Amino acid sequence: MSRFLWHGLIALIYLFLLAPILVVVIVSFDTRQYLAFPPESLSFGSYAKVFANQTFISAFGRSVMIGLAVGLAAVVIGTLLSMALVRYRFRGREGVNFLILAPFLVPHIVLAVGIMLVLAPMQLLDSYTGIILAHLGITVPYTVRTITMSLMSVDRRVEEAAMVHGATPFAVFRRITLPLIAPGLIAGGVIAFLISFDEATISLFIVSVKVSTLPTEIYNYLEVSTDPQIAALSVLLIAISIVVVIAVEKLIGLRRAL
Amino acid sequence: MSEHHVVVDNLVKTYPGAATPSVDHVSFALPKGEMLALLGPSGCGKTTILRMIAGLIEPTSGAIQLNGREISQTPVHKRNMGMVFQAYALFPHMTVAGNVAFGLEMRGIPHSERGPKVQRALDMVKLGHLGDRRVTQLSGGQQQRCAIARSLVIEPELLLLDEPLSNLDAKLRDEMRDEIREIQSRTGVTAIFVTHDQDEALSMADRLAVMSAGKIEQIGTPREIFDAPANEFVAGFIGAGNFLSGRVTAPGEAEIEGLGPLRFEAPARIGSQVNLMVRPHRFKLAAPGPNAFTGQVDSLVYRGQILTLGISVGGKRLTADLHTHAGHLPAKGETVTLAVAPGDVTFLSEAAA
Repeated sequence: MSRFLWHGLIALIYLFLLAPILVVVIVSFDTRQYLAFPPESLSFGSYAKVFANQTFISAFGRSVMIGLAVGLAAVVIGTLLSMALVRYRFRGREGVNFLILAPFLVPHIVLAVGIMLVLAPMQLLDSYTGIILAHLGITVPYTVRTITMSLMSVDRRVEEAAMVHGATPFAVFRRITLPLIAPGLIAGGVIAFLISFDEATISLFIVSVKVSTLPTEIYNYLEVSTDPQIAALSVLLIAISIVVVIAVEKLIGLRRAL
Repeated sequence: MSEHHVVVDNLVKTYPGAATPSVDHVSFALPKGEMLALLGPSGCGKTTILRMIAGLIEPTSGAIQLNGREISQTPVHKRNMGMVFQAYALFPHMTVAGNVAFGLEMRGIPHSERGPKVQRALDMVKLGHLGDRRVTQLSGGQQQRCAIARSLVIEPELLLLDEPLSNLDAKLRDEMRDEIREIQSRTGVTAIFVTHDQDEALSMADRLAVMSAGKIEQIGTPREIFDAPANEFVAGFIGAGNFLSGRVTAPGEAEIEGLGPLRFEAPARIGSQVNLMVRPHRFKLAAPGPNAFTGQVDSLVYRGQILTLGISVGGKRLTADLHTHAGHLPAKGETVTLAVAPGDVTFLSEAAA
């Protein structure tokens, strides 16, 4: 009996956690011009409107491009930083380590103000370069973490064996280290992509019209109207995240890579 | 020096912050085709020497010559060596054949020539049928064979083996020991291997270097090391021994405390203090007489071909290995006399009294 109660409690907690998503999913099929629950009648009308909305479509395209660029760059930078942190003992190593992890500790709103103040004099506000740099600041800590974990699990003796049998340092990296840390690279890249794709707070400070991302366009849209289009768009975004995570999980095992 | 294939000259390695060097002025040379064992307890510096020769550790000072070239400043990947690591260190993301082909690929050998060479190397270690397997699917012994094939396929100028048998179980170890020796003599490759196991060193190596605390205590053939150890450390490290010390009373005769006179064949000054050793298998059952000690058997270990017995004489314990086919075998509690020929007493050291 107590077991039954316990399971019921757990189910309730999950329901509470998932309720907002559930509500959004249901509302996305509403036909009225404002957000309300429960819906009166259901249709795919809001989805059709989302796909017809040029602002959303082009912002989606930009978000994907920015996300890909950020994911790729964060992996490259993360790999270089991780190699330095894991393989070399140098003065200031602890300091670098702390600096890389600092964005975890600072609220995004504070970071956003800081980044804006830095980018403004460089004329980088509302530019691809600016938004990508800003996103790198918050994603590199994640890629450094996943790649560092992968690197630490690589047996040094295996790399030494490659060296002794004739591999140059670069060949050791390309043929041995890189394949062995690939799961960490992919996981790090996917996480960086998803964070960039989701990021609203910092983006709002950096972009205005030229390189607006999907989250900033959602925010702009909400300021003027609240119709089920937003709900439909949200459902689409959730679906994209789930698909990406499942794909990575199937491909390499996200839990292992993390 | 030119007749030697490998020359290690006054090699020193002191790790930063260490008070004493890990490798302390080590020198040795070996001719082409010889197999040398570096033998010693853990921490004696033997692995450090091997890694310096491979180029994985930079020496503090000293020279390493291979085939007449000084290589201590040559980058690792240009030294043309093969190495078998203790835990094999195979490339986990490659197949067996991929592992073996790696060194050839790094040397720019075209794909068409690699295949037959890889196959020959795999056949040599009896893995010819497993080339397509992933190395993670191999048993311990097979991984070991794969590591050997990977090292030999590049026809290295020197083969290094770091405790190659320590990860195998006892039965496989004996098998691989013979096999490594057989492959080494067939290919004629010069080899250095590191071990802490005296049986391994004695049975595999042409010569062995016994090390302690960063120094080579003695270098010689297994027989020289076993029968004529240079000092107490070597005598104690290799094989069992009865260590006896006493004062020289006459030429070739010492008064052993508690035992009486013992004759030996070595020049020692009268009045000096000598350290002598008798290997257990040098003792024979005999009638009381010179160079014989009588006592009661207080321990017996029957080991098939050999019976190890211990007797107590004047507060000392003597251990003897007797062949079990040698007629009468003593029982526990029986009084026996053990005799040793003066030529079978090993002279270790002498100190002025």
